Amino acid sequence: MTWLVWRQHRIQFYVGAALLVAFAILIVVTGSQVADQFRAAQAACAMHQGCRHLGGLFMGSHVVGFLIISTLGAPILVGLFWGAPLVAAEAEAGTTQFAWMQSITRKHWLTVKVSWMLLAAAIWGGVISALVTWWSSPNNAEQLNQFNPGRFDIMDLVPVGYSVFAMALGIAAGALLRRTLPAMAVTLAGFVAVRVAVTLWLRPHYMHAVTVFYKATSSFTPPGAFWQIAQGVVGPHGQAIAQPNNTPYVDGVPITVLPGSCAPLANSAGPANPTAACAHALSQFRAFVTYQPADRFWTFQFIETGLFFVLAAGLIGVTAMVLLRRDA
Amino acid sequence: MTPMEKVLGPLGPGLGGPGGSPEPMAVQTSRLTKRYGKLTALNDCTISVPQGRISALIGPNGAGKTTLLRLLAGLARPTSGQAIVNGVPPHQDPAFLADIGYLAQEIPLYRRLTAEDHIRAGAHLNPRWDGESVRERLTTLKIPLNRAVGKLSGGQRAQVALALILAKRPRLLLLDEPVAALDPLARRNFLGLLADGVEAGGLTVILSSHLVADLERVSDHIIMLAASRVQLCGDIEDLLAEHRILVGPSKDTTALERSHRVVQATRTPRQTTLLVRLNGPVVDPAFQASEVSLEELVLAYLGEDAPPALANLTTVGEEQ
Repeated sequence: MTWLVWRQHRIQFYVGAALLVAFAILIVVTGSQVADQFRAAQAACAMHQGCRHLGGLFMGSHVVGFLIISTLGAPILVGLFWGAPLVAAEAEAGTTQFAWMQSITRKHWLTVKVSWMLLAAAIWGGVISALVTWWSSPNNAEQLNQFNPGRFDIMDLVPVGYSVFAMALGIAAGALLRRTLPAMAVTLAGFVAVRVAVTLWLRPHYMHAVTVFYKATSSFTPPGAFWQIAQGVVGPHGQAIAQPNNTPYVDGVPITVLPGSCAPLANSAGPANPTAACAHALSQFRAFVTYQPADRFWTFQFIETGLFFVLAAGLIGVTAMVLLRRDA
Repeated sequence: MTPMEKVLGPLGPGLGGPGGSPEPMAVQTSRLTKRYGKLTALNDCTISVPQGRISALIGPNGAGKTTLLRLLAGLARPTSGQAIVNGVPPHQDPAFLADIGYLAQEIPLYRRLTAEDHIRAGAHLNPRWDGESVRERLTTLKIPLNRAVGKLSGGQRAQVALALILAKRPRLLLLDEPVAALDPLARRNFLGLLADGVEAGGLTVILSSHLVADLERVSDHIIMLAASRVQLCGDIEDLLAEHRILVGPSKDTTALERSHRVVQATRTPRQTTLLVRLNGPVVDPAFQASEVSLEELVLAYLGEDAPPALANLTTVGEEQ
């Protein structure tokens, strides 16, 4: 069966491998330039006193940078062009009736095909992610938020989870619809929907976020490249203070809830000396920041990858049920 | 009941084979029914095909031939009823599948793969595989082994598929309209090949067509479907012996109809022509009995819309 899988899909394999090799060459060549640039910038920075951070400096060509960001879409390619046609194209051409009338069970047929495809997807996601991660390591060192989709979603482990999920989604859609084009459409829509939903609504809650309160007049920044979920100010009784736009603020507190003596301080640039009444009022307010600490990065990577593996397993289960129970 | 029938108990009565003889059956079905939603593709189909026969599955388009073959191959599941193929219900098991050769009407082959690729795939996927026979046959037919099958002509593709099916060395061949894509010479050649295979022993063939003439020369058994029901099933010789065309004067035939089953009646003011299934000798001297051809028989049963289902002609005289 493996022989047949190879013979049927070797062109797809060659195309995939060629794309990876081309990408790898580009990344390795430009990546070493980025590394040189990084070292130069570090050296230049070391000459200036007080330069601890290179700030938001982006290193590398912007064309390649765009390509790097585009790898957000890389996982869907395997779902669209390998996964969706896997069963659907065979059903369309009727060749399932050839394969299923050899002396192998449908279960065996499906197991071998799906296993190789999922493995191929994992390798696809893994290789791209490894290249992107390596290329981006100088920029990553300067990242202010490691959980940013431009960082978290294209590097390290999660691209493997996304690719495996996209492949499984394509296979399941193809098995259900038995037509390649509709299966591709469903795969694309489903992948985007799940990715967006997970990124926006699930990822912030993988672990209970940390909230730190501090005096409104002081300041606090969590260590490392943390992920800020929320920030704000609470009043003397712990009540949340609305933060309207177009209102002047003093130390993050809108002047609408402060005594009039604070008004001169609003948005003042230089050091200000508040009146006693104003200082007292200000001391009643506490600021807070809710965030996911930077050191949770790998935990989040594992959780998200695991989540997409579980989704993929469910989809393969659906595929098996459909193919084994439904008439050929 | 004979002991043999007791063993086959779940199949119900009337499936024992002609006269209850212990002839082994390649295929037996009992009230096999397949519905797709509201559409009934096969209704209450009870047939049996003894081993070693070449059975012609005849019926107009849409009669349920493909559905029946797919049910026997295990590609589809019956809505109700049961099929026994090579002694077991069709199921997903390598040993069962190894004994079945099924070729769908669409001749499914991987279009981008060559015949040689298919031969090698077959070697990987089947316990008994005679790939050499395919190479020999295709070489004889001057069909290139190394060209993508999608680039072959329809007839050549059919030849490749048929050769591959035979290479599997199945015990039961289920062929859906196999000769439709072949020219008359290739048709004769292929049917001869099947006959040789059956002659050599261990092979039973069911092949469908909407034309009886296609299959008449090689088949010794017939299953006739019309409007999703079995109209006729049995050995062709037996069926021909059991039917007569009676020609006589135009008169009341009630007495005749009481003792024989009238399949088709044509009445003109001067003459009555009846195609009957005999149930004893014809005693009325006014009627001339003559033998019936297979074609006449098939057309007569096709013309008979309702009530259909004379499913168990082979089991005449047994309890129904």
